[in-house]
Amino acid sequence: MNNMNNLRPVVLMVAGAILAISVIDPAWAQGAPFGAPHHATEISPQSGLMAWIFAKQAAFYRSLSGFIRASKDDGAAMWSLFGISFLYGVFHAIGPGHGKAVISSYLVANEETWRRGVVLSFASAAIQSVVAIIVVAIAAVLLGATAKAIGLTVHVIEIVSYGLVILIGLRLLFVKGRGLLIAFRELTPRQASGKAAASSPQTGSIFDRDDRFAATAIHCGCHDHGHVHHVHGLHCHDHRDHDHHGHDHHDHDHHASAWGHAHGPEPAELAGAGGWRRGLSAVIAVGLRPCSGAIIVLIFALAQDLFWTGTVATLIMGLGTAITVAAIATVAVGARNIASRIAKARSGLGMLMMRAIEVGAAVLIVAFGALLLAGYMASEQLWMFTG
Amino acid sequence: MMNRTRSCCCALLLLFLSIARADAHPHVWVTLHSEILYSADGAMTSVRHAWTFDDMFSAYALQGISHAKKGQYTREELASLAEVNVTSLKEYDYFTYARADGKKLKFSDATDYWLEYKNAALTLHFTLPLKAPAAAKAMQVEIYDPTIFVDFEFAKDKPAALSGAPPQCLLTADLPHQPTPAEQLRLSQLDNAPLDASSTYGEIFANKILVKCP
Repeated sequence: MNNMNNLRPVVLMVAGAILAISVIDPAWAQGAPFGAPHHATEISPQSGLMAWIFAKQAAFYRSLSGFIRASKDDGAAMWSLFGISFLYGVFHAIGPGHGKAVISSYLVANEETWRRGVVLSFASAAIQSVVAIIVVAIAAVLLGATAKAIGLTVHVIEIVSYGLVILIGLRLLFVKGRGLLIAFRELTPRQASGKAAASSPQTGSIFDRDDRFAATAIHCGCHDHGHVHHVHGLHCHDHRDHDHHGHDHHDHDHHASAWGHAHGPEPAELAGAGGWRRGLSAVIAVGLRPCSGAIIVLIFALAQDLFWTGTVATLIMGLGTAITVAAIATVAVGARNIASRIAKARSGLGMLMMRAIEVGAAVLIVAFGALLLAGYMASEQLWMFTG
Repeated sequence: MMNRTRSCCCALLLLFLSIARADAHPHVWVTLHSEILYSADGAMTSVRHAWTFDDMFSAYALQGISHAKKGQYTREELASLAEVNVTSLKEYDYFTYARADGKKLKFSDATDYWLEYKNAALTLHFTLPLKAPAAAKAMQVEIYDPTIFVDFEFAKDKPAALSGAPPQCLLTADLPHQPTPAEQLRLSQLDNAPLDASSTYGEIFANKILVKCP
């Protein structure tokens, strides 16, 4: 009975996550990819705001050409151009293709800090701007390539970017999925051994020991956990180490193995050089894909013999984009911290809950990558007119 | 505990909503003028389009096109680009959808196409012949991009015209209507559930030509 009550928050959380996913992507809820328009109209006040943002960013974008033209012989217009570029970046980043969703999910899955979230957001936006500039500089300025060739280049970069997003998501899903499995499996033995320890305190340590090996076997996917030697002999060194450290308190052991499982990052390791390298892979995957708007602005500037002005405008646009992405990433990290604080109040179930959230975030990254790939295939954007 | 869990759920839901909310953003603006052509026996035969691209997209499309005089492009210099344009557009049904008394009509490949460069903007001219000429009491021609990447809008001064139509036929041209809240919501979800070419969602943004021949 008590067990059921304990499970309820978890069930709620999972239900919440499923609900969130189904709201994000009506296609999942309706079982058909890119299905009929979503029917939830109750959030319409918000969409009014979004429509306003939508109109604003379109207006900013359309005014860019005038400012670029004017900046040819008017220094003041150049500063207006930079101001508009910044605002366009801020508003435009709310739209698709700026990695907000992927970055946020990545931060949630990886227990990243607020500061790292901001750094990763700025880094991905910077890479995005620089890639657009490099593509235009090489293809248009140096090679005099046509829009068709540039479109093809962007097209290839996009596929690589989305592919990398999927790979990063799958890797996280693998690591976090095993973490979830452990958190789930460990609930049962913990309660069993708890009862045993209460009935005969003298033998508590023996139970602990067996239980620990049993748990270790589960962690490593060795189902034959009756054979202790077998477990020792295989690829379970990490867990054995943990076991040696925590002889007195098996509960702690389970936590440690859940953190460090499947060669996943320990919280401490994440903050180190290796963690940054991992962060870099996410940033590159997200930032690789240049924004079509930036490409068009750069080529337009180039046509006016104002390539350098266009380059600065693109970098400022990236700065605006970074602010939006960082703000959303901060919300994501904050939400995770709230969840983690709640989880800490209840050891076993809390751990399970956090692992479930991480797995959910990893699933989202894979889904975003797949949808981006599919979305790209569905609407070929810049290639509509230029082949 | 339950309340906190619930508020946590809400926080997560809001989080995912916030990261998922996004708007489609057109990167190509087209100002269009369309002419509906009729045969001598009063049947509609084709649609003749003149689409003017915005200056930024025009510059993008012109990138790498060799031309003799800076800032000027002749029809000949633009011939290969025009070819690429109509070939690419075929995949998108030329963004043109016609119905005769509610029944869908089919178009053949574009003919008579050329590009014109004037006032820093490209204008694509092309004619879309109907597979079979059609006569109807109510003829409807819509121009829109189902994926709303291209923003189409009738030219304010001269949106549409009839050519050779029976004298009793009356033409009206309607600009896209303001999206309703439900439509706006769908618009905001395009990031995660993009529209494909078979979607009719973009119809909201359709420029409608209606020809009534009583």
